[in-house]
Amino acid sequence: MTNYSEHSSDRRERGNAQSLGVLPSVESSLIRAHVFASLVAVVISALFGILVATKFTFPEFLGGHSWLTWGRLRYNHTQGIFFGWLGNAFLAFFYYAVPRLANRPVLSRKLGWLLFFIWNFTVVVPGWVLVLAGFSQPLEWAEFPLVVDAFVVLAFILMVFEFVLPFLKARLSDLYVSGWYLIGGIIFTMLAYPVGNFVPEMVPGARGAAFSGLWIHDAVGLFVTPFALAIAYYVIPTVTRRPIYSHFLSMVGFWVLFFIYPLNGTHHYVYSAIPMAAQKGAIVASAYLGMDVILVVTNLLLSLRGSSGTTSKDVPLRFVWFGVISYLVVSLQGSGQAFMPVNRFIHFTDWVIGHSHLAMIGFASFTALGGIAHMWQRIPGTRYHERMMNWSFWLLAMGLTLMITDLTIAGLVEAQVWETSAPWIDSVRAVGSYWLVRTLSGLPILAGFVLFWVSLVTGPRSSEAIASATIRPGAENDAAYDNAPEVSREILSTSWLSYAHVVAFGAGVGFFALSFLVLAILPGKELADEIKRVAPVTMATLTAPEQRGRVIYGREGCAYCHTQQIRFLAADVRRFGAPTEAWETKYDYPQLWGTRRIGPDLSREYNIRSRDWQLTHLYNPRFVVRDSVMPPYPWLFGGSANQPTQEALDLLAYLQSLGRARQLSGFEQQALVPSLQPAKSDMAMPREASARATPPSVPIAMTGGYSDSAPVLHPASNPGDLQEEVSRGETLFAANCASCHGATGGGDGKAAASLLPRPANLTAARFSDQRLSSVLWNGIVGSAMPPWRQLPTEDLRALVAYVDSLHLPAPAPAAQETASLEVGKALFAAACASCHGATGAGDGPAAAALAPPPTNFHLKKPTEQRAWEVLEDGVPGTAMPPWKSQLGEGERHALVAYVRSLYDTPQEGPKQ
Amino acid sequence: MINLIVIVISAIMFGLVLVWWRWPAFRSWIEAPKYFMLRQEHRFDVAAFRTRPDANPGEPQ
Repeated sequence: MTNYSEHSSDRRERGNAQSLGVLPSVESSLIRAHVFASLVAVVISALFGILVATKFTFPEFLGGHSWLTWGRLRYNHTQGIFFGWLGNAFLAFFYYAVPRLANRPVLSRKLGWLLFFIWNFTVVVPGWVLVLAGFSQPLEWAEFPLVVDAFVVLAFILMVFEFVLPFLKARLSDLYVSGWYLIGGIIFTMLAYPVGNFVPEMVPGARGAAFSGLWIHDAVGLFVTPFALAIAYYVIPTVTRRPIYSHFLSMVGFWVLFFIYPLNGTHHYVYSAIPMAAQKGAIVASAYLGMDVILVVTNLLLSLRGSSGTTSKDVPLRFVWFGVISYLVVSLQGSGQAFMPVNRFIHFTDWVIGHSHLAMIGFASFTALGGIAHMWQRIPGTRYHERMMNWSFWLLAMGLTLMITDLTIAGLVEAQVWETSAPWIDSVRAVGSYWLVRTLSGLPILAGFVLFWVSLVTGPRSSEAIASATIRPGAENDAAYDNAPEVSREILSTSWLSYAHVVAFGAGVGFFALSFLVLAILPGKELADEIKRVAPVTMATLTAPEQRGRVIYGREGCAYCHTQQIRFLAADVRRFGAPTEAWETKYDYPQLWGTRRIGPDLSREYNIRSRDWQLTHLYNPRFVVRDSVMPPYPWLFGGSANQPTQEALDLLAYLQSLGRARQLSGFEQQALVPSLQPAKSDMAMPREASARATPPSVPIAMTGGYSDSAPVLHPASNPGDLQEEVSRGETLFAANCASCHGATGGGDGKAAASLLPRPANLTAARFSDQRLSSVLWNGIVGSAMPPWRQLPTEDLRALVAYVDSLHLPAPAPAAQETASLEVGKALFAAACASCHGATGAGDGPAAAALAPPPTNFHLKKPTEQRAWEVLEDGVPGTAMPPWKSQLGEGERHALVAYVRSLYDTPQEGPKQ
Repeated sequence: MINLIVIVISAIMFGLVLVWWRWPAFRSWIEAPKYFMLRQEHRFDVAAFRTRPDANPGEPQ
């Protein structure tokens, strides 16, 4: 008598693999435990995701506490889906399927509970808590800290014993494709996981990225995909009660997947410093994979032929069908994305986020949900609410469809903006509404998961009804199962075929090893040689504060919005600077290249922005960039941007070190020597004139160096056109300038309190068009004022017109001023000319060493009050000292009159 | 190296298809697990049916 629900004490079932007389036991209690753990995890993970998405629209939402910051929640969202949701769901399926597929029970119930404990209480829960507390690893799909990774590896070793050993005792010629996927997934993930999680900690930069790329893809290809396909191949024939279309095709699909998937990894780093051969290999493998997926999906859909009615009525099967269709779409999408003409456009955009959600929800989660619902109906004593399950399906399907459509369009919009010279923040503004829709689309998905859970604990007890419906005693039903052709004695007696699985398995492991050789070890060696050949011998490691800052950068998830990987593409170079070379990353343990850009690339941050700007930006990004969606980091400060903690200073030190080695190395000069240039002739190199217009070691759009040839932008002379320009300039000013200069240009924006020198009070001086144009074009060195030359000329002209309008016309100078001008001129020559120049053109002997440079009074006319204040108090944050104690009141009045008189008069010497 | 991988994978696939096409016995051997799997599922369903409180011990056969 078979005891279906309890572990059998009858050991005879282990002895004879061919005996069909005694059924192996099924660990129903472990199935239930893992199903509930998976549902708890998916709801929590989806909540993490919704919080993360909400923060794109409301960056301050829950932004005051480190435990709830974007980066940490983002880590937990993906790791929760991976380990908590899918891991538990797959484990539940293993306990259901292994006894059926191997005709053996799993190894041990006690081992099963140990595995359950390890998976959930040494991996999922501690992983979440540690990440929220700030202990993590900044690598895609490897975010849990190393101590957790050790338990993951242990869990996979235990899985081998629990689930793979029963198959080894079974007759391999009976092994159904789901069993193959199950065995392959466990063993290859056990091999790949340490490589993806531990190796990048030991192999730096570009070389480590090659390994990370492998794991990013292996996580999907060797863990998610095999187990999801195992479920699909299981559920479809058992629901339709017909064998799959072709087991041969299913096995071809299986082996091609395991041969090819590991070779895909480097397609996450196309156009990077990783050797071209590895990139090409990954692209070719991606194309092969697309063909394999077509084969697999065709086989699965042919297995459903004539069962459209069943597919629409049976909700679990419908979940699986949706998963299979998503698998086809997402895989072909993935293959297409690997091709260089597509990759250069959509990589780093929300398109890829849509792609990954389609993979993890559309394919993996739908299939897992179908698998859970299918087996749940067949476990004694469980409840099953079909109508609620149906609602769950539609909520999930509608939410996901909306999300994918939205993110795909958002990605195309971002890509389009990135191809232009528009400021980075324009791409953020352009997709703001899409991010809101994405957040809203997460709500039906969350509701769908909750309803799914509810459907498993309400409704009638299901297994009895299902058993009745499934079995249908009678000749017709039995015939459906018993019409299998006998396996030929001829082939069973063919000795080499009896070892075919062993040979094939060895080939699989061989290909797996080959993938590491081809995509990681060989490129790594090539990179090591290149680094040795071209890296400056003087290249310094990070200082202790910079190294601590790097850890904070990783902990807060900065790499998930900011790449440190400028690709060998003109658009990248034009926007961010010289492409990232492998040698620049030789001390990066682990690499922080990133795979996504919500904010700009930070590879060339050295000398780009002032210290004050950086700290203010970290304290609250919207203080300096009104429409930024970056999270604030107030816990790194003591209450204001002026009170950075040591952690904030460390992070600042790290940010300001990025690109330093490149700038100090003189590498650009070396790179002009053809023999030293990396052989990437077939890539879109930044040798285009536009990319080489200025030295590319710094972002051209951000600095480009001081340019004397800045165009002088004169506002329109026609009053009507001028008014239109002023109006347009006001809008631009509010969007780009008001956070520092204040809404009315008074220099009192949110950021003003923490910036030195303070943002200019634009109402307190009259600026010439030449001065305004120069500042907009070049920024002001030594201040937080960045260049804005990436804005269209029309916008810059509108800003000039608007700032002009902020200054009220001054009354004509009083007659008595004329007399004091001579006094002022003498005082100016004695006290001011060393900096401001003999003629007041800001070109004194000391000027070259001052940042920000001294004012050119021919181009700027301060109001009397402002000039007086400056003489009284100096200008904090600049070299301008107070003169109150050195000059009498009359002398200061004379100086005020004199410097104001210089405006718009001919000047000598270089312009400022 | 990449060319070699492409050639090897293509050759393996071609070889498999050739074996499948030329050797009918291989076809029945490779297709056997899909029937075994269904038989197994049926056995478990029958066992589940028999555990029902109201199940007739004699049914199904």
